[in-house]
Amino acid sequence: MAVLEAPRPTRVIGRAEVDSSPMNRDDSELVDDELDNDLSDDAAERTDDADRDAAPTPIGDAAASEVDHDDGLADVDEDLNGRVRSALPPEELRRLFEEQALPFMDQLYAAALRMTRNTADAGDLVQETFVKAFSAFAQFRQGTNLKAWLYRILTNTFINSYRKSQRQPYQNAIDELEDWQLGSAESLTQGRTTRSAEAEAIDHLPDSDVKEALQSIPEDFRMAVYLADVEGFAYQEIADIMKTPVGTVMSRLHRGRRLLRERLADYARDRGFVVADTPRRGR
Amino acid sequence: MTDCGCDKAKAELEEFLHRELSDDDFTDVSEHLAGCVECETEAAVGLTLMQKVRSACQEKAPEELRESILARLNAHV
Repeated sequence: MAVLEAPRPTRVIGRAEVDSSPMNRDDSELVDDELDNDLSDDAAERTDDADRDAAPTPIGDAAASEVDHDDGLADVDEDLNGRVRSALPPEELRRLFEEQALPFMDQLYAAALRMTRNTADAGDLVQETFVKAFSAFAQFRQGTNLKAWLYRILTNTFINSYRKSQRQPYQNAIDELEDWQLGSAESLTQGRTTRSAEAEAIDHLPDSDVKEALQSIPEDFRMAVYLADVEGFAYQEIADIMKTPVGTVMSRLHRGRRLLRERLADYARDRGFVVADTPRRGR
Repeated sequence: MTDCGCDKAKAELEEFLHRELSDDDFTDVSEHLAGCVECETEAAVGLTLMQKVRSACQEKAPEELRESILARLNAHV
C-alpha cells in the first residue's frame, strides 16, 4: 500500500531523535494544563520579541537555543571558538550565507505567502528575514538546523511586523475553541467507498483550491499544517518555531488538517466531483 | 501478526502519517492498516491531503525579490 511508503521525503530530523528529546513527551503531557498559560505567555513573549527585534544577537541566541535544547542562552557567548562563525572575515561570511541560506528563498517565500496572504507583504517579509538572518549569521552555530533557524526568524518577524495589522481578533482564542465550533467531524463517520472517492477528488483539485482553502483556515492552524506537510518539520521543530508546546502543535495540526479536508470536500462537490457524504446520495 | 485494532490506528493516524510514532507504535499501526481496508482508506485520504498541500505550495520567489535581497546584503558587507 502506497500509504506505508510515501510520507515525508523532506524530513529533517529522524524519528528516533525526536523521540529522545526530553521536551517532546513532557510538552505533550503538559499541554492540557498549560494551554491557557501558553496563550498568555505567547502574548507576553510578543512584547519581548519586539524588543529583541532591534538587536541581531538575541535572534541568533534564540535560534541557537531552538535547535540544541541542552544549551542555555548564556552558553552561546562562551562557545564562540570554532563553533560559531564570528571569526570569519565579512566576505567569507557573506559567501557562506549566500551559499547556505539563500537557497531557502523560494521556500521562505512560499511560507510568507501563507502567512501574509499577499505577494507584496510576502516579499517584504522574506527580505526582512534575510537581512536579520545575515546580521545574526555570525552567531549561527555550525552544524545546527539552518532551515529551522530561518523559519524561526521568519515567524518572529511576521508576528512582530505584520501580524499586528492583519490579526483577526478571534485568532487569539482559536486554540480554546471546541471541535464542534470549528466544523463537523462528518468525514470520520463516512463509509469506505465515500472516503476512497474523497481521496481521489482531493487529488484532482487544482492547486488554487488548495491554497484558497489553506488561506481560509485560522493562521495558527494554517502554519502548523504548512510547517508539517509542506516543509516536513518534526513536531518538536514546529514547537520551537511557533514557540508553543508540542501538544499544541499536534492539536493545531490535527484540527487544521481536518478543517482543510472539509473545505476541500466542499470545493470538490462544487466542482461536481463525487464526494458523497450525505445519506441523500444513497451511499 | 498482532492487530492493534481500529481505535488505536485512528487515534494515531496523524502521528503515523507524520512519522512521529515510536517504532513499535508505527509497526502496530502499519500492520493494522495492511489488514483493514477502512483504516487504510482513511490513511490514504490523509496522505493525499498531505501530498496535495505540499505540491500546491511550491511558489518561486520573484527574481526582483532575489535581486533586492542581494542588494541589501551587499550594502551590509
